[in-house]
Amino acid sequence: MADASIEFKGSSFTLTVLHFKTSKLIDIRTDLEKKVNQAPDFFYLVPVVVSIEQLEGNVDYQAIKNIIEEFNFTFVGFTGSIAKEQRKLIRELGFSFVNTAKANVSQKPVIEEPEIVVKEPIVVAEKPIEAAVEAEANSYSDKVHRGQIRSGQQVYAKDQNLVIIGSVSAGAEVIADGSIHVYGSLRGKAIAGAKGHHRAQIYCQDFEAEMVSINGNYMLSESMEKYWGDPIYIQLTDSELTLSKLI
Amino acid sequence: MARIIVVTSGKGGVGKTTSSAAIGLGLALKGHKVVLIDFDIGLRNLDLIMGCERRVVYDFVNVINGEATLNQALIKDKRVNSLSILPASQTRDKDALNKENVGKVLKELGEMYDYIICDSPAGIEAGAMMALYYADEAIVTTNPEVSSVRDSDRILGMLASKSRRAEEGLEPIKEHLLLTRYSPKRVEEGEMLSVEDVEDILSIPLIGVIPESQAVLKASNAGEPVILDTESDAGKAYQDVVDRLLGEKVDFRFLVAEKKGIFSRMFGG
Repeated sequence: MADASIEFKGSSFTLTVLHFKTSKLIDIRTDLEKKVNQAPDFFYLVPVVVSIEQLEGNVDYQAIKNIIEEFNFTFVGFTGSIAKEQRKLIRELGFSFVNTAKANVSQKPVIEEPEIVVKEPIVVAEKPIEAAVEAEANSYSDKVHRGQIRSGQQVYAKDQNLVIIGSVSAGAEVIADGSIHVYGSLRGKAIAGAKGHHRAQIYCQDFEAEMVSINGNYMLSESMEKYWGDPIYIQLTDSELTLSKLI
Repeated sequence: MARIIVVTSGKGGVGKTTSSAAIGLGLALKGHKVVLIDFDIGLRNLDLIMGCERRVVYDFVNVINGEATLNQALIKDKRVNSLSILPASQTRDKDALNKENVGKVLKELGEMYDYIICDSPAGIEAGAMMALYYADEAIVTTNPEVSSVRDSDRILGMLASKSRRAEEGLEPIKEHLLLTRYSPKRVEEGEMLSVEDVEDILSIPLIGVIPESQAVLKASNAGEPVILDTESDAGKAYQDVVDRLLGEKVDFRFLVAEKKGIFSRMFGG
């Protein structure tokens, strides 16, 4: 379908999940009102997936959708580990059911649908994009580059780890879907886990990087003074980059 | 076939033309047949530094366009007859140059000379790319200063990827680092990058360190390449560069600030 006017592509998004802990809609409405009034602009038109996992008995799906829209959220669909019959019912009512990364996907999509990642909302301005599918670190092969990466050059290891035997100059960029190893000085930018692999790591013998990033979480050189010039490795722990000395 | 050497830098004003003139003349003085080509179309200055600006009739673009032959455009140096200069045009545009027509001229020159030295313009645009495309060797002229080092690194990237040798998968261009306007005193005071600092960042072999010298300005204005000023440090350093290019092992001079003894301080300069 290369020449078609449209294209379906898989993509990852961070979506807010609203977990319903009770079917009592009166309580839901009270608590929602309190929450939304704390920061009305923040919640306005936010796409929301409703998790009904903790609910027992029959659920009034239509009523839930109505409440969500009453508070000006953009209703996306329902989610949660629920019985197949419930999912079928939701579909019959004309609502979407969104699979989580961990849930067993019993229906196989016929076309490549965008994979939506379910996440807790946190009142933070920016949040990194997480992959729906976690690639195993060991499954990537290495792309080896011998020699300097000069200023203005860019190397991208697609679906691979990147190993540079040499230094990465300031003004250069090294990017990998897997991990990045620099047997030399890292002075430019290193972007690991580019497609959303949060277990990717960055290793170098002499840390003088302008910027490092793992799975969209980045740090500028301004905040990395402590390890300047040392052999270190960088990993992502709970969405924060942590630096550790190599030896 | 001649050896084509490009003198390039990325950054402007670091000493490419000064170095091209000095090294070209030095090689010729040693008996080799050398031609210097000014690739800075529109901002030509090689002929000024060589002192032959009043003998320019035809230029590089005239030859490319078939308006003159090489022999009509080439200017023989008055000091050494194995040295010639192909000046650039002052009025034309560098768009006149392309890979094919430059290649043709270089091929013709290659049969007449031992060394072709291409004085590159600054930047990474067409003029600089054209100057480095056919090179066998490159002298990357760098000042011990952060932006110059960064720009030199950029041009090294270009040499490794945009040259003919890179495109055809041949043996890569032989890169040399020429550090110019070096002041050992300022390095010791921590104001200036040292040779080691620059080598660490650029990682290419050093072919010479030219000390900051007032002789360079004098030489430019007089149209006498500084290598002829055998008294000056810069002149001597360029002589060392020429020797190293020809394969000799020469120790690096002018790296340490001269400690003036009490007598030279009282009586000397």
